[in-house]
Amino acid sequence: MGRPVFRRVGAAVEARQHSRVAYLDRDRALVEAARRDPRRFDALYRKYLAQVYSYAYYELGDHHEAEDATERTFLQALAALPRFEERAAPADGEGASTFRVWLFQIARNAVANQHRGRRRHPELPLEAAAVIADPLDVEGRAAVRDEARAAWAAVGRLPADRRRALVLRFVEEMSTAEIAGVLGRSEGAVRVLIHRALRSVARDLETGGRR
Amino acid sequence: MILFRHEGAEIEALVTDRYLESLLLAGERGAADAPSDAVLPPALRRAARRLSIDLVRVHPSFRFEERLAARLAEAAAGMWSAEAAAGAGELVGSPSSPAAWRALPGASAAPTAAPTAIPAIPASSPVPLSRPLIVGGALTSAALSLAGAAYLAWRRSRSPVGPMARAARAAHAVRAAHAAPAGSPVPD
Repeated sequence: MGRPVFRRVGAAVEARQHSRVAYLDRDRALVEAARRDPRRFDALYRKYLAQVYSYAYYELGDHHEAEDATERTFLQALAALPRFEERAAPADGEGASTFRVWLFQIARNAVANQHRGRRRHPELPLEAAAVIADPLDVEGRAAVRDEARAAWAAVGRLPADRRRALVLRFVEEMSTAEIAGVLGRSEGAVRVLIHRALRSVARDLETGGRR
Repeated sequence: MILFRHEGAEIEALVTDRYLESLLLAGERGAADAPSDAVLPPALRRAARRLSIDLVRVHPSFRFEERLAARLAEAAAGMWSAEAAAGAGELVGSPSSPAAWRALPGASAAPTAAPTAIPAIPASSPVPLSRPLIVGGALTSAALSLAGAAYLAWRRSRSPVGPMARAARAAHAVRAAHAAPAGSPVPD
């Protein structure tokens, strides 16, 4: 007889947790819809395509490779969606999206695999990528603004973990908690990482790239 | 108060984090001026402002977006049909003998007499007796209904031969003869 009572208590706790998560995870409705019917994954795909692609592009510095990584990320996310668990906590802040963190963890792995796959080929630095194929340059590839180029170059010269944190903060506009989730580090470590990255960029910009 | 070196770094990082938070929020609001924080070194503030402007989000080509969307839709449709098939039931062998019926869990209501009354399919028939059956779907209920209908038809077609049955039939015939108007045929 003790078992049903225990079950009811467990169900209440679970319901409370779900209501909290529903408030925090802004993607919950879309994720639930996609879980019921995988054909509705399209809404999540359209919402996060540019973010995932941007992240891959800043990491890989090449449009084709960024496309490959983006494709792998979304295909894996679709296949693994039934196993996705909401883990939003109050510390993640209002509007935190655990789905986004989960998606970026997949993207991070996809990008890492892409890096591993091209070890034999020389890496294209972010600076060169900006000059060669800046998709935002409407006037032409030759006329990339000097300031933007310098900023991209400074970011491109950062160690990988600092660059990654900075891109997630400035390009994806993620909170420190979200970045910590993506990178698998503590929030304090992420804050220090970003602070040091910003200090390096500031020094780089002040000296014009001369060290 | 003495601060250890790592604590000092953490505090600096916290201040930077607060500044970045307000800087990005100002950008979201479309505010022209960035918030100023006297504690943060000016070089750091300038760098942060530069990055908030220059590190832009890159969008893939429309062609790539639609191609990937189509591929995802195809994969999702495959998952959907697989889930639908799994939800309909599982494939099991249909029992071919009354003993096999009784062996099924919860099959006490199996039509034990029916299989003997249904004409046997010749051995040369191309239709196997124990073909797969989707349990839990519409096919199962339809198959059980057919078996039930066959069983009832068999029972009705079989005339009772016991003395009680004969007496009951005679009583029914007498009642029908009394109730029927004159000249109408009397049922046997």
